[in-house]
Amino acid sequence: MPPDWSVAELVLRSTLETLMIAFAGTAMAVVFALPLGFLAAGNVTPGWLSHGVKWILGFIRSIPLIVVAIVLVTAVGLGPFPGALAIAFHSVGMLAKFFAEEFETADEGILQAVRGTGASWSQTLRYGLLPQSVPQIVAFIVFRLEMNFRDAAVLGLVGAGGIGFYIQLYVRGFQYEKVAVLLITIIAVVTALDQLTYWVRRWVR
Amino acid sequence: MIEVRDVHVLFGRTLALDLQKLSIEAGERVFVLGHSGSGKTTLARLLKGRLRPTTGTVRVLGKDPASSQPKIRREIQRRVAMVDQEFFLVPRATVVANVLSGALGRVPPMRSLFGAYPHEIWEKAESILGEVELSGLEERRVETLSGGQRQRTAIARALMQEAEIIIADEPVSNLDPELAEDALQLLVDCVARRDVTLIVNLHQPELARRFASRFVGLADGRLVYDGDPAGFTEEHAELVYRGGRRKRNNGRDSHDDTAKPVAPEAGRPGMRLVRP
Repeated sequence: MPPDWSVAELVLRSTLETLMIAFAGTAMAVVFALPLGFLAAGNVTPGWLSHGVKWILGFIRSIPLIVVAIVLVTAVGLGPFPGALAIAFHSVGMLAKFFAEEFETADEGILQAVRGTGASWSQTLRYGLLPQSVPQIVAFIVFRLEMNFRDAAVLGLVGAGGIGFYIQLYVRGFQYEKVAVLLITIIAVVTALDQLTYWVRRWVR
Repeated sequence: MIEVRDVHVLFGRTLALDLQKLSIEAGERVFVLGHSGSGKTTLARLLKGRLRPTTGTVRVLGKDPASSQPKIRREIQRRVAMVDQEFFLVPRATVVANVLSGALGRVPPMRSLFGAYPHEIWEKAESILGEVELSGLEERRVETLSGGQRQRTAIARALMQEAEIIIADEPVSNLDPELAEDALQLLVDCVARRDVTLIVNLHQPELARRFASRFVGLADGRLVYDGDPAGFTEEHAELVYRGGRRKRNNGRDSHDDTAKPVAPEAGRPGMRLVRP
């Protein structure tokens, strides 16, 4: 059964939408995950606070993405926007945890030295902690972006936009020649993202 | 300027420091001598507020460096600069970024968070880099520098702080002997051009003699000499050194584990003025 390329344009457009959902969701997640990562890092935040934040992050991680998406679609309506929100919410839990764990490996002597210039808490984070962790942080972000694309591809099943809608449509309609086009597209995009990951990691060192 | 009274510092059951009285006036160049585990680093940490004494009082610039008020702690941090034995620079950051970070205590916080240091701070950093002979290396990452260059970057960061007191804890113990002397000379020269009190922890009395205005000798956490470098005799060196013999293996400052005898005169087998 050869792939049916007549749906190529439709598939490309929805793939693009899925990519946008993944990008937007990852970007939103990073904006929230960085401060949460600082707050969850035990070496720069008092124990009661960092443990509390870590507990909240665990709570966020434990909610399945599909549940988040269904709730948000119900609350916000159909379309890519609730999809991106769901991705963002779900990613924050993991990203912030990884960030915090990376921050906790930072060299305490350097933190003390930066603090020793009279720097404030936020300045110590910016000039003592962050520069030490940047390569790992960036690696986590691009890795999560790739994961988010695959997650976003599934989200269409619950009406949250993107390629998932057509996966569901064609699979249920037994139109496997069209499903083949979808799969080929997804594989191509994931491979491209993988390459992007590699380039970014090499660039940020 | 600095007042230490009846201070005891206990680490578990080990008495790391036992100082009845030590005061340092503005403009002095004090070299603190002692074996590893003699309490030199503990004293430096006390003055920088990284450690609270178990008993007694520490006053730096009239204030308690380990005060419970963050505002006072931060003020003392800013007015007292420290050059650590291991430098503690950010290896991934450039030389100039590391030096600029010395000014963090006096730049507008919001602007500094976006890396936007005021123009005069940049000019200051440039001139200090010239002073420590690092011009041209501004954009190099610290991780690509040699030990001597890192040392000078660390000194530049401390100078950038415009502190009133600079504490250098074993600043040259990671360097070759020739480099060590040059680095100390550079530090002392830079300090001499400013109105700064200098406190240096050092192993080697003969090296210290060239730069010090005052010697403080510590052995097993106790003050065994305090005064003019000229009065620091072979016997004092012996005292400082012998203390080290007794306690060498449970020394508190683990960085000092390569301690060498401080007795200056030759004639004793296996003793050297500077580390090989």
